[in-house]
Amino acid sequence: MLDRFRSKPLELPDPEHRIDRVDLAFYDVDHSAGTFEARIFLGAPRNLRRDAGIDHPAYAGSFYVFGHDRCPGEEGHCHVPTDRDPFDLRLPHHLEPATALVTVTAAVERLGGAGKRKAAVDVIVHGPDGEALKALDFSHLRLLTYA
Amino acid sequence: MTVAAKHPARAPVRLRHRRSARRLSEGQLAELREAITQAQKIGDDRGYQYWAGIHGMPLPIYCQHGSELFLPWHRAYLYFFEKALQDRVPGVTLPWWDWRDHEEALPAAYARARTAGGKANPLYSSPIQPSGRRQADEKRTTRELQDVRLLPTAEQVRQVRANRDYFTFQTQLESLHNGVHGFVGGAGGAMSSVLISAYDPIFWAHHCMIDRLWYLWQLDHPGAQLPAAYLDQALPPFPMRVRDTLDVTALGYDYAAGTAAVPGPRRA
Repeated sequence: MLDRFRSKPLELPDPEHRIDRVDLAFYDVDHSAGTFEARIFLGAPRNLRRDAGIDHPAYAGSFYVFGHDRCPGEEGHCHVPTDRDPFDLRLPHHLEPATALVTVTAAVERLGGAGKRKAAVDVIVHGPDGEALKALDFSHLRLLTYA
Repeated sequence: MTVAAKHPARAPVRLRHRRSARRLSEGQLAELREAITQAQKIGDDRGYQYWAGIHGMPLPIYCQHGSELFLPWHRAYLYFFEKALQDRVPGVTLPWWDWRDHEEALPAAYARARTAGGKANPLYSSPIQPSGRRQADEKRTTRELQDVRLLPTAEQVRQVRANRDYFTFQTQLESLHNGVHGFVGGAGGAMSSVLISAYDPIFWAHHCMIDRLWYLWQLDHPGAQLPAAYLDQALPPFPMRVRDTLDVTALGYDYAAGTAAVPGPRRA
């Protein structure tokens, strides 16, 4: 679990082409720990401060996770099964990872206007009280452009 | 089948209206408090503790979060909880908390430990049954309210409602919903934990707001389609499928901010 993350640079949409909307999708987001805000920055400098907020020029949006907080069961209760029987009609495990979708159109347009063709994604995690929280985990992220 | 909600097609007097928590009349607020108070006194599966426990603790955890069933599951949950309250006080409805109003952190009805008459306010906090506690000494819900500027804004809600795709709308609305849980619960309060959040009485008003925003989205996007397999998914422990939750008027309620009805010629 991390309290911040910086991605490899992602290719941005060609600013010569009109875009309607750009979403940043985070896949397989873990929600087994605490509740938190994940603040997203696009094209921020490497020394981005942990307390950077919505007024930071690279701020692109946030997503929020409602955490389970802890495992209330016995050993194995919160282990998400990796292999599911296709005839298993029960609901998915309660900690099945989630998808988070943040619309970042304005931030991408801003970067495109400044001539940027690639940008890293920074994610900074804040617990509900604003403190750093090691609760972030996901498998990958993707920039989805709609024209 | 579409995900659209019908405009109220039934006789308007038969529908019950869920109202803004900030605009409850004294009588409506008194009825809500009475219903919660009575439900807290019942220790079986008609009581408040039973319904709060369905969400998380005691196990099993039934609630659906980070799941495609987030909206319909919680609509069913609200429906059955409201029915349990109506068994105590006929006609009572759950109010919604419009957290876009940043003037005050919580609606006054939920914010104070005592009512104007000096009684304990059942909307302020709730006992937590022993089997629902994270720690043995966690006997009541607590809140750790954060800066009101952290609550979702009207513009954020507008952007989420503008989504045309149901699943995208649901994912982004759930994210705003998650932030409100953190706003109320802070680092250690009940609302920040999936396991015990439903014990806090503000939980129901928060989820009514989410349910209302889904209803408004349905009115905005009457042609939105959902896969048949999704519509047939069950919503345990409730005897409903997704398709059974789509029309709130079939569930007997509406979110109209105001209504006015007069008899037609057949009744005059």
